[in-house]
Amino acid sequence: MAHHKKNRNVGIIGIGQTKHSSHREDVNQPELIHEAVRLALQDANLTMKDIDCVVHGNMELFEMVHQPDLWHVLGTGAYGKDCIRITTGGTVGATLSCASDNLAASGMYDIVMAIGFEKLQEGHTTGGITNMADPLWFRKIQAGALTGSSAYDVEREFGLERANRASLTYRIIMDKHACLNPNAHRAFGLEFSQIDDLIRTSPKLVGELKLIEMCSQSDGACCVIFACEQKAKELARTPVWIRDHITVHREETFNIFGYDRKVPVIKTHKFAAEQLFGRNGIKDPLNYFDVFEMYDPATWWAIDWLRDFFALHGDEHLKLVENKEIMIGGRMPINPSGGVIGSNPIGATALIRVAEAALQVRGNAGPHQIPTPVKHALASGFGGTMWTVMTMLEKELNW
Amino acid sequence: MAKEQVAGFEDSYEVEGKMALPYTYFAGRVGSKFITTIRDQQKIMGVKCPACNTVYLPPRQVCDKDFTDIRDNWVELNNTGTVTTFTVVRYDDRHLPRPAPYVLALIQLDGAGTPFMHIVEECKIEDVKIGMKVEAVFAKETTNTILDIDHFKPAPEKISIHALNTARKQWNPADEPATNEKRKGGKPDMATPVIIAAALTGAATMKNQNPSVPYTPEEFAEEAWKCWQAGAAMVHVHAREDGGMATHDHGRIKATHDAIKDRCPELIVNLSSAVGMGKTAEQRISQIVAIKPEMASLNTNTMNFGIVERKTGKIFIDYVFENTFTMLQDFSRAMEENGVKPEIECYDMGGLDNTLLIARQGIFSDPMNFNFVWGVAGGQAFRAESFIAMMNALPPRANFTTCGVGTDEFPCIMQSCLLGGHMRVGLEDNIRMPDGRLARGSYELVEVAVSIASALGRPVATATEARLIMGMKPR
Ligand SMILES: [Zn+2]
Repeated sequence: MAHHKKNRNVGIIGIGQTKHSSHREDVNQPELIHEAVRLALQDANLTMKDIDCVVHGNMELFEMVHQPDLWHVLGTGAYGKDCIRITTGGTVGATLSCASDNLAASGMYDIVMAIGFEKLQEGHTTGGITNMADPLWFRKIQAGALTGSSAYDVEREFGLERANRASLTYRIIMDKHACLNPNAHRAFGLEFSQIDDLIRTSPKLVGELKLIEMCSQSDGACCVIFACEQKAKELARTPVWIRDHITVHREETFNIFGYDRKVPVIKTHKFAAEQLFGRNGIKDPLNYFDVFEMYDPATWWAIDWLRDFFALHGDEHLKLVENKEIMIGGRMPINPSGGVIGSNPIGATALIRVAEAALQVRGNAGPHQIPTPVKHALASGFGGTMWTVMTMLEKELNW
Repeated sequence: MAKEQVAGFEDSYEVEGKMALPYTYFAGRVGSKFITTIRDQQKIMGVKCPACNTVYLPPRQVCDKDFTDIRDNWVELNNTGTVTTFTVVRYDDRHLPRPAPYVLALIQLDGAGTPFMHIVEECKIEDVKIGMKVEAVFAKETTNTILDIDHFKPAPEKISIHALNTARKQWNPADEPATNEKRKGGKPDMATPVIIAAALTGAATMKNQNPSVPYTPEEFAEEAWKCWQAGAAMVHVHAREDGGMATHDHGRIKATHDAIKDRCPELIVNLSSAVGMGKTAEQRISQIVAIKPEMASLNTNTMNFGIVERKTGKIFIDYVFENTFTMLQDFSRAMEENGVKPEIECYDMGGLDNTLLIARQGIFSDPMNFNFVWGVAGGQAFRAESFIAMMNALPPRANFTTCGVGTDEFPCIMQSCLLGGHMRVGLEDNIRMPDGRLARGSYELVEVAVSIASALGRPVATATEARLIMGMKPR
């Protein structure tokens, strides 16, 4: 896989997020976005005059607004500036980050602002997603993000009880993280002692996939400001450097007539991780990274994907979960923010992964900051149909 | 699935799909207030950016040019505006607000800095033009949407009096001999510009009678500005305290005078030397000497000045307004010595004769400016023949204006305008429009005076012309 050296380094110098919530009747779309933009500018100690380019992203179909970047100028500050709109699906936020990195690295712009947002309360997500498929006419099938096959996989490999307990353990860890994050949408205060109850009582959606295990539908926005090395060093006390990022997607692996044991469906994460770590000389990612903000739309995917991302074998990935090594304070903290299960304003979600990973590197994430120093952070984005975006962040410019 | 196929494609089918995707979007707090204000108060509100002075309509939280938070900076806009551009919708669709064809226009409301989209109706499509004036028509039943303004309809073109004045020849004193020549034959000179004065408050009219009565210097400045815009060349002012009481306090009177001059430097400010009930002679004249306005009222006889119910004759307030010969003489002298032109108030023929008697001392500079006042309980009621008698008793070169209390206001100013005199209107004299509804402010009464002048074909005097006519120093 071709990998070109960057023209120049790029650092994250400003981060802003709204509180994520199921309902924000008090603001319209530009006003919601503006909250994140203002916070990011404040964080970077910049004004809109300093921004050279605005990269705007959401799931265009979900709010039924065509070319929303035009309306949203009222809140983004892109008035009279270069502005680019990106819609790649669930990965939108991650692609915003990649594009902003590339735009600044290329030398085209010195300072680039990425804005991801979604106001899912206003649209009809499932309506938007289900139209992507028609089983009879070669448009491949997927019922939105509701995929039960991972649950089936884990259950078949490790037995129903262990699989279910691992899934719920992951769920409760995410809730405990979300309870520490003031911006998180869903923070219930769940306890590990509730696992058996939840397995029994949470409504089933597809197969073993239960309501409690799914991500939320949220309103929220995230804004991240990227700057070229020189500007980042001038403007920020602790810029967070973007070392590398990778995007992989392979739609043809979506089998239209059911699950094929010989050709497992989701392999883009594994492929992307191998490529990204390989070309950066990282042999043991589990030891190398200090934190991972993973796009986890549901617990079953999350526990299964740990194996793909970190090239683990056997039940190593389940043990990470079962031994709570993925909790804040553990060996590989996953999603100190509470993850996608905690908050999911879709167009912002994958950018929030990058933003939260960067906050951990900076060391000022807030109550959910992990206690040990963070030098190397990883963020992932995921979207249909089988897209993976991975981003590596570094504290020092020394790789 | 199969429909009738095009010849040659009988074996090719199309797949029909259907999407039904409900969605909403939230107006937010700012957008919602915009709608509820239209719904509940029939007022169109925008927000103004204090940094760049742009008035946004529809309102928004933040100025997108400079990021100033403007969500609480509400301003009320007029219901009238101008079509900045438009299109004709010529196809029917279920989601459209009207059956085709109809006009969708961008309309910039008077006072707004941005146009917004709405429907233009009540005229032929081919008559809609860029630049046409339109007026909001509010919906009878609310939908809690922007359609609480049902549509816009063509509004009568209101041509700015200032624009008209810029376009015409300016009056100058060289024209005056002709004026006097014509008057000799009893024929008014309709070519002389008519001076419109607005009496903003008086001493007695309160906000509970008409909320547009100004009390604070800022309110005076705002009212004066509106009257100036409408065509007044002069305002007549009795300063008030914040609570509405008439005041003789020099500081307050000066602050009120200066606030008006700051807002409209052109405008002539005419202060009262009556001030209000129960003030001493010293209190009444010392403020004029201290502030030296361009003009001040001069009262000409001691008289009853009460409040008596017109229908029943019942006395509510009995008061004697004292203006002795000595006061008349001293006030006149003080004004003339301080460069203040007296506006000589005549409530009947006696007051006029008192003045002419004192005038033999040679106190008054030429020309003298009289105001015939009608309808005060204690003075004479308006009668057309009394008006003519008073006009005929004036010394040579004298100017006359007139004002009337309550419903006397409109006939007396119309007669004055008809006879070549000037006009005073305003909330001091009358709080209602000719149709009986409360005037929105003195400016609306000025608009009535302007319409009288335009009906009679007389130009409305600019402040510069008013100074020349009344013998004041040019500014
Ligand atoms: Zn502004």
